[in-house]
Amino acid sequence: METKKRGDLIINGFGSSNGGQFYQVIVNGKGTVNSDIDCEKFECNGTGTINGNVVAQSAKISGNGKVNGSIESQYLSIDGSAKVANNLFVKKLKIAGKAYVGGKIKSDELNLRGRITVEEDCEAEVIKAESQFTIGGLLNADLVDITIFANCKAKEIGGQTILIKQKSSLLGLFKGFIPTQLETELIEGDKIEIENTKAGIVRGNHVSIGPNCVIDVVEHSGELLMAENTVVREIRKV
Amino acid sequence: MNEELISKKDLLDLAGISYGQLYRWKRKDLIPEDWFIRKSTFTGQETFFPKEKILERINKIQTMKENLSLDELADMFSPNISDLQLEADEVIRRNIVSKSVMEFYLENEKGKHQFHFSRLLEVFVLEKLLQSGEINLDEAKMLLQVLMDNRDQVKQKNADLLVTRKLGLSSCLLLVNNEGVYFDKGTKIAAHVSLVSCMEEIKTKLG
Repeated sequence: METKKRGDLIINGFGSSNGGQFYQVIVNGKGTVNSDIDCEKFECNGTGTINGNVVAQSAKISGNGKVNGSIESQYLSIDGSAKVANNLFVKKLKIAGKAYVGGKIKSDELNLRGRITVEEDCEAEVIKAESQFTIGGLLNADLVDITIFANCKAKEIGGQTILIKQKSSLLGLFKGFIPTQLETELIEGDKIEIENTKAGIVRGNHVSIGPNCVIDVVEHSGELLMAENTVVREIRKV
Repeated sequence: MNEELISKKDLLDLAGISYGQLYRWKRKDLIPEDWFIRKSTFTGQETFFPKEKILERINKIQTMKENLSLDELADMFSPNISDLQLEADEVIRRNIVSKSVMEFYLENEKGKHQFHFSRLLEVFVLEKLLQSGEINLDEAKMLLQVLMDNRDQVKQKNADLLVTRKLGLSSCLLLVNNEGVYFDKGTKIAAHVSLVSCMEEIKTKLG
């Protein structure tokens, strides 16, 4: 792909444009792009609206970005607030602000810090989350590493290694004050270590259930460790 | 179709794979989404799979993953067609299609000598059915027409092709996301091919 010859699209201040192929697309003010964009570098620092899909090599949304379509990129970081109507297909995705995804997320490396809502599935090789999230579908990754910062929800969680832990509170001062937990119907994995989790079924090989869990059924084939102040209604060894 | 189902737990036991592997393959689209069938059981919701299909697929993945990366495997299984272009001669040379069938196809389809995947699939299906003698030339023309008219459907979906005969009259059906089809006693099914498995066959031949 020859991108050298492509022009740039830069909107500073109020403005709108049609999409197309560019080298850089930078929206600094309140800009609107009215069709699909194909570019090397996408940046949205102001209040940008893209009424179409974005395909980029690297993308960054630092302001208030709204994409009425999908984003496909090698790299995307969201530091402000982003709303994506459809899917996010991003190799390396970092969300530090607030994000809403109307479709699904497909990624290799997913780093979540902030507040994230995904309507459908969320897939990656590695998911690291220190955040508050709501996932309408399946959270699926080789390694799921979640630190709960506020109430989290996922319909199902599956993968190889699943670690869910509570954020360590400052000197234990506020502990129990605001009980936060992760809620899910099903957790399936080979190695599972969870805390503060409310789940319907937990299935795995090595399962370790930490404090403050409420779980209906645990099915394990390997060893099972359980903390004291936790509720498990039924344990099945398979 | 009333397929035998297998629960996820039994599948893992039977195939000797782990949750991690199953979820990884799902992520890589090696296992199609619509094979995950959710049902409620007395233990709550469980996921089931069509037994025969999933075991065959897992077997394939396990034997081929030695040589191919998971991404390459995914390309192979996906019904989405890769951007492939082949010359007619090349198709014959690779033994995908015989010369006579290729001539018949070009004559009736009136297209160029360059083959992208959907045309390759059409000619391959003809080859398969004509060589095995399941259909005759007139039926082949009809079948080709059906395939050509519905290229979009064939590309996107799980499609099956059916040729039936009754009282000497033949007709051709394209079934999309086949759930089962039943006929009266007088109707004979002359040929039934799954286009998805044809695609896989072609991909193996190309690979």
